[in-house]
Amino acid sequence: MLHRLERLKSWEGLLLVILIVVVGFNAVSTPHYLQVDNLINLFQLHIEEIIVALIMTFIIINAEIDLSVGSVMGLAGCVMAFMWGRKVPIEIGIAAALLTGVLVGAFNGFMVSYVGLTSLVVTLAGLIGYRGLAHVLLEDRSIGNFPKWFNQLGQQPLIGPFPLALIAFFVMLVIALVVLQNSGFGRYVYVIGNNKDVAQYSGVNVRRVKMTLFVVSGLISAFAGLLLAARLGSMRGDTATGTELTVITMVVLGGVSIFGGSGSLYGVFLSILIVLNLRNGMGLLNVPGDTQTGVIGALLILSVLVPNVAQEARSIWSRRRHVQRVQEVREQKGG
Amino acid sequence: MATVESKTPILQMRHISKRFDTTQALDDVSLDLYPGEIHALMGENGAGKSTLIKIMTGVYHPDEGDILLDGKPIRVGNSVEAQAYGIAAIYQEPMVYPDLNVAENIFITHRSRDLVVNWGKMFREADEILAQLDVKLDVRVPARGLTLAAQQTVEIAKAISLKVRVLIMDEPTASLSAHEVEQLFKLACTLRDQGVSIFFISHRMEEVFDIADRVTIFRDGKHISTAPRSQVTTESCIRDMVGRKIEEFFAKSKGQRGELLMSVRGLSKENAFSDINLEVYRGEVLGFAGLVGSRRTDVGMALFGVEPADSGEIIFGGQAARIRSPEQALRLGIAYMTEDRRRIGLTMPMSIATNITLPMLRKYLSRLGLVKPKDEEITAEQYRQRLSIRAPSVHEQVGRLSGGNQQKVMLSKWLNTQPQLLILDEPTRGIDVGAKAEVHHIINDLAAQGLGIILISSDMPEIMAMSDRILVMREGRQMGIFSREEATQEKVLTAAMGQNNEPKERA
Amino acid sequence: METIKRYFRPEQLREFSLVFLIVAIFMFFGSQIQGYFSPRIFNRVTSDVAIITVVAFGETLVLLTRNYDLSVGSIVGLTAFFVGKQLSYNQDMLPLVALLLAIGAGTLMGLFNGLVISYGRVPSLIATLGTLAIYRSILVAYPGNKIVVTNDFPKWVLDLGSASLFSVGGFDIRPVVVVALLIFIIFQLVTTYLPYGRRLYAIGSNPEAARIGGLPAPRLVLIAYVVCGALAGLGGFMFMVRYGDLNTAVAQGMELQVIAAAVVGGVSTNGGIGTMSGALLGAFMINLLQQSLLRWLRISDFWVGAFLGMLILLAVTIDAVIVSRLRAIWARAGLEMRPAGEKSLVKEKESHVA
Repeated sequence: MLHRLERLKSWEGLLLVILIVVVGFNAVSTPHYLQVDNLINLFQLHIEEIIVALIMTFIIINAEIDLSVGSVMGLAGCVMAFMWGRKVPIEIGIAAALLTGVLVGAFNGFMVSYVGLTSLVVTLAGLIGYRGLAHVLLEDRSIGNFPKWFNQLGQQPLIGPFPLALIAFFVMLVIALVVLQNSGFGRYVYVIGNNKDVAQYSGVNVRRVKMTLFVVSGLISAFAGLLLAARLGSMRGDTATGTELTVITMVVLGGVSIFGGSGSLYGVFLSILIVLNLRNGMGLLNVPGDTQTGVIGALLILSVLVPNVAQEARSIWSRRRHVQRVQEVREQKGG
Repeated sequence: MATVESKTPILQMRHISKRFDTTQALDDVSLDLYPGEIHALMGENGAGKSTLIKIMTGVYHPDEGDILLDGKPIRVGNSVEAQAYGIAAIYQEPMVYPDLNVAENIFITHRSRDLVVNWGKMFREADEILAQLDVKLDVRVPARGLTLAAQQTVEIAKAISLKVRVLIMDEPTASLSAHEVEQLFKLACTLRDQGVSIFFISHRMEEVFDIADRVTIFRDGKHISTAPRSQVTTESCIRDMVGRKIEEFFAKSKGQRGELLMSVRGLSKENAFSDINLEVYRGEVLGFAGLVGSRRTDVGMALFGVEPADSGEIIFGGQAARIRSPEQALRLGIAYMTEDRRRIGLTMPMSIATNITLPMLRKYLSRLGLVKPKDEEITAEQYRQRLSIRAPSVHEQVGRLSGGNQQKVMLSKWLNTQPQLLILDEPTRGIDVGAKAEVHHIINDLAAQGLGIILISSDMPEIMAMSDRILVMREGRQMGIFSREEATQEKVLTAAMGQNNEPKERA
Repeated sequence: METIKRYFRPEQLREFSLVFLIVAIFMFFGSQIQGYFSPRIFNRVTSDVAIITVVAFGETLVLLTRNYDLSVGSIVGLTAFFVGKQLSYNQDMLPLVALLLAIGAGTLMGLFNGLVISYGRVPSLIATLGTLAIYRSILVAYPGNKIVVTNDFPKWVLDLGSASLFSVGGFDIRPVVVVALLIFIIFQLVTTYLPYGRRLYAIGSNPEAARIGGLPAPRLVLIAYVVCGALAGLGGFMFMVRYGDLNTAVAQGMELQVIAAAVVGGVSTNGGIGTMSGALLGAFMINLLQQSLLRWLRISDFWVGAFLGMLILLAVTIDAVIVSRLRAIWARAGLEMRPAGEKSLVKEKESHVA
């Protein structure tokens, strides 16, 4: 673990530096940047995404991927909105939405664990399919007018200045940290991601772990979808499209390898802060949303490209030194 | 057949040295290869065999020394250049393209000047090459469906198509059945008679004595000896490989048999093994002997639930048992240590402690499901002491340890499951002699403590020395069980090769 | 049976079954829907399919090497929008120039993808997820109006979209369809007869062996991405010609349709398996089924996505479960040696006593 840990620590150190730079830049260019209001707003605008990023971290460390999270968010929200539109009490709608998330997650998990398909393909199909179902429910309408208490939970502070979603995020962050870094289940997640066969041969129930991860992913995505519906005050068939890009960026930028087996939530938390601050800073500079997304895309690429290039440079340099040394030895012997 | 000395060598390695960090992998090694000979290279792991091959094929570059082809010095920069010089290698795991057909597999790496692929011509030329090898194979068939031996034949055909002059075969028989090994050797002889120089690396003495014209032995990166086959014996080989006499490094186990632990009746698995019947008693070591390809690992994996058998009966500790998963096996008290420690035995980037506690992780969890790192550490320390694992600490990454120490970590992992039956698959493969002896002592102790042990090994002397009884398998079938007293290497080998002469059924 | 095994592989059987399926769909819906065999549906399906398949052929090249290109939708959108804008500013631009502009832009974007993936060694999923966003953001940031309307175009653009090269009783063979067929023929030949095409299969089939065997994999994969980008650019041009009205959401999500077409058509996401004809059939079947269900069930257009997702899953599951079994059964070709009597090449076996 030591070698990986060292590398990780240096990565997290780098993230910390970047974070300080970004926050510093923002604080200087915008007055009142570091005030509580703005900071809470900074989180709130993307709170659903960062909640999903927590479970995505587990999944990617497990050497899987879930591309359908955005679509599940949309579908769950649409299920609730659809039922609300049909005059069903919203509590039932909420329950139905969460149930949808669980079912969808179970389906994904079943296909991956038991049928043996790759998670990329399954969740890609899910991304398309679940979004499609969301459109089926809501067509091109927008449903809103949710009960006041629902909207309030989504938009107004709950405890002190902190809204429900933000509190939920921090609670979930703590739980996720404990589970991933300190629990037996977390250990299994890492080992399976590192080498599925070793885990299997050691008596770990790989299927159960993967199934659990996908079900939780579905549930959390559904929960995030509901939070989004409450915050926006309305729901459309295409709500939460494109979330997967930001979520995956947060995780990969945080030092989690796309191949599985390494990374930590500490890094992901730092990268979440970086992405949030970047977005916030750009927003305050009136950079349009799609351009922001483009910047996030560039960030994603750079987060993998730069270490690769650095490593290539390092190995070329060390190879040169080795050849030099061999030359020197040869010359000595010849002389 | 012309004598080898009358020709000039095709390939000469002169005073080759290669160093990696602190290890001198090759030290002033010189070797000649003649056309039309099968030249075997033997040596223990770490002797420098694969380093030499990598230099011959351009993967590594020598620090010192020269390579001469037909008397002229050459520089082999990479595998493509090696191919151009007519040097090709085939390995234990054939590298075929499963989705391309056989003909394409043969020709795909050619630097073809053709703008367009001429399928008809390709199929015809592929057929011709295979005919040259005296082999019939449908060239239109995708390589995926081929048996391992057939895939290796395709590799050889590829080498021939590239006008190979020196063909290196690196442990090619490790995953082949006895029948397939025969076929491969026929191919090698055909090639030899056509003037190709074959450089054949193997651990398996029977094979070497079967087809080699000359035998070279390396030890610790140095060239020790080269002699014609007729002048070489098993003892002389071992002596050169190891540097000391045989008797010194095997620990003998004294079996004191306890009660019946497990009995197996009619265990069968399609395409793997059939009708396996055996008993294992506490305190005894049951050796599984056989040549590579006898499917002993499949039996071991079936008993551990990784690849469960299709039919048959297992009675463990007096009760009928259905073992369909490693979890179930562990719960019964069966543990299986794999032969493939790199790929499925250990998680290399993780610490010693993490690896050791993995199968029993639930015993190290608090009520809330959190890991108790102190307890892990204590357990890991215990095993470090007990098995003399050499490492700075139990938090050291397993990937950084030497082979022998990795093997000990793996052993600790399974001992930690408190098994009653321990199945060891090639436990001393790929580790140095000193560690080997240590492992043998440990096995002795375990048996003395009352464990039942199944020892799967391709190392004949090891099995002979360590087992109380020896079960011999060949191509998935049980050929017989010998008691310690009546077993001789000859009898065991004969049974392993299929010529049966009524061994005693059960001791 | 043996001759079947010799000349046809499981993948080809799969393609034949796709053809049967398409015919079956045809027959079934033809009997259920009034006016099913009308020119209108034919023209619509063929034009839609033409655009998707051109992009799908490029995507297939990439998929063969065990990589993905998720950015094709953004490339199509950006080139369509970009060329559309140029045409609206510059009405005299020659059609050929516009076409080359589109292909050129696509090629550049594909080149970027390829460099990042082949030489930057960024996994293709990540790289193209990123460029999907980057290219789309360039599109959105493009100066000027965020829309291009049909009226802004020179006349030839609209003509190209609706004209037909020749007509058989109302069934038009439109230029876009002809282009698609041409591209199909070219790339079917490339993947069957060109060493380059065959090497793509090798890389996807066993990347490790390709590396050791000396195949210049990075360069070959780079070329695949460049071609994919070029074809996406061409697709963008075709898109612009066909649809006229463009906004910044143009072709959003098309990468999913394209991948769906390839996957349903038998192209493996694991590389090494798949053909252009498969991608063509896949695209055709999906579109046909969509159009048919739309009219038959009178269900809303909105079922498209759900339906597409289900199809992908179905195709991949069938591949995983059935086709892989078929492949295992296929070519159980053992090694046969000539009978011992014919030639004696082997030394007498010596005694095995060591």
